Amino acid sequence: METCRVLSIQSHVVRGYVGNRSAVFPLQLLGFEVDFINSVQFSNHTGYPHWKGQVLNCAEIEELYETLKKNNVIHYDYVLTGYCRDRDMLRKMVEIIKELKQRNPKLIFVCDPVMGDTWDGEGKMYVPKELLPVYKNEVIPIADILTPNQFEAELLTDSKITNESEALTSISKLHELGPSTVVISSSSLGGVNSLIGYGSKRNNNNGIKYQQIRLVMNLIDAAFVGSGDLFAALLLAWTHLHPDNLKIALEKVISTMQHILKRTKAAADTQVGPGKKATFSDLELRLIQSKKDIEEPELCVEAVNL
Amino acid sequence: METCRVLSIQSHVVRGYVGNRSAVFPLQLLGFEVDFINSVQFSNHTGYPHWKGQVLNCAEIEELYETLKKNNVIHYDYVLTGYCRDRDMLRKMVEIIKELKQRNPKLIFVCDPVMGDTWDGEGKMYVPKELLPVYKNEVIPIADILTPNQFEAELLTDSKITNESEALTSISKLHELGPSTVVISSSSLGGVNSLIGYGSRRNNNNGIKYQQIRLVMNLIDAAFVGSGDLFAALLLAWTHLHPDNLKIALEKVISTMQHILKRTKAAADSTLIFLFVV
Repeated sequence: METCRVLSIQSHVVRGYVGNRSAVFPLQLLGFEVDFINSVQFSNHTGYPHWKGQVLNCAEIEELYETLKKNNVIHYDYVLTGYCRDRDMLRKMVEIIKELKQRNPKLIFVCDPVMGDTWDGEGKMYVPKELLPVYKNEVIPIADILTPNQFEAELLTDSKITNESEALTSISKLHELGPSTVVISSSSLGGVNSLIGYGSKRNNNNGIKYQQIRLVMNLIDAAFVGSGDLFAALLLAWTHLHPDNLKIALEKVISTMQHILKRTKAAADTQVGPGKKATFSDLELRLIQSKKDIEEPELCVEAVNL
Repeated sequence: METCRVLSIQSHVVRGYVGNRSAVFPLQLLGFEVDFINSVQFSNHTGYPHWKGQVLNCAEIEELYETLKKNNVIHYDYVLTGYCRDRDMLRKMVEIIKELKQRNPKLIFVCDPVMGDTWDGEGKMYVPKELLPVYKNEVIPIADILTPNQFEAELLTDSKITNESEALTSISKLHELGPSTVVISSSSLGGVNSLIGYGSRRNNNNGIKYQQIRLVMNLIDAAFVGSGDLFAALLLAWTHLHPDNLKIALEKVISTMQHILKRTKAAADSTLIFLFVV
């Protein structure tokens, strides 16, 4: 693969796998050159009993970017962003991405619009509400690949998803906001033991307007943190490696996720001992141990073209 | 390999490969769990025309460490440190490592005492001079694996190295400061086209006191930055994977370095040719 440069702007944790810690290693394994700005440096993610660290402000991010620009080393093929809590930071990233797209019109912006999730049937935002309009009006219009979860898709389209038809309508609305590829990584539309994901890509040629895909995957019963960040990074990689086949790209992404999550759950259960509940520390993604699964995922899911 | 945890405290650059950017990926590839504290975040290394970024202070590093401690997740098998410009920061790292060694007496501290290098026959320090006594008196006594270059070995032992005998004497003196494994990754003792490295390990058993090794490697004609950081990380990995065989460990480390440096030089030269053609 000709060397592909990614700029990732996400969190860093000293220990554990969220943000850049989830995204960078898999991308590097798959042969991508990844430049990464750590928007924060925390000890660990915020699910632990204690967490502390430093947060970058807009001026500091701008300084890093402007210096790379002065050195004339800002040709990127992809930009990847994820969890962000600050409206000004979000806007700063939009500014940067617009400039990078001017320099390279083929640049692909992979955007994970992290805003919230659903627990026990109830959706909750875990970023300030003021970010929603910024995502809708400023970020998503310039995104090329969008990876909302079900709750975020509902927020962005202001409509509930209770069946497949509504999921696909929601996806159409998201396409209209900008992105040519939209993936709802998982929804509650599956049964008790499964999740259903949807992928959709806008075609610019032949009669068919969208390639749409449904994927059924096993639910692995544990609270994983950082898996969304991993998902977005893997999606970047496999859509790059299979640019005309969203179906196979998604099958590889989800298969990789399944192997990693299963391994993580098994390792966590072993670590914590029988009868005890695994902590967030035990459940840190076993990325290092899953090198082979990341490089050459054995397919364990089959997507269906809709 | 049973999962081995490393704590690395080094620089981060957004673009390029120095500090943690050099050390972490190879260690991860070789199956190590690496927790890493970025002591700075710069746009790129300081050899570029422009460089800017943020530097962590001691209080911030302490905060990160103390929080990991509160979460009871500070069992490490290795600590790896490299380029540091600040005396207080160096002392803070010594404090942390001592505590980690108390928690795990088997912890191995891999220390790259980055202080300077030799250009055109002249050695120059590129950290404040005040760091030398801190390295000598406080850091190196608790180090287990030490990776000075020739200039740093000369600084630490206050004696020149002009032949193999003097190199080995210097290494003995470094052993006496603390570390059981000392590797001078390259010296000017080779010919025009080669470098010679020395590795030495103190044995605690049988009659032979030290396992000592000489390695001759091709000189690759370019100025690489970050290769020392890569070297220390690879040495950590291969001495872990070959705990009783420093010879094979060093052969793997240096072979890896040779392949990477050759590939890097070839790729860099191709880019230049492309620019000329265009």
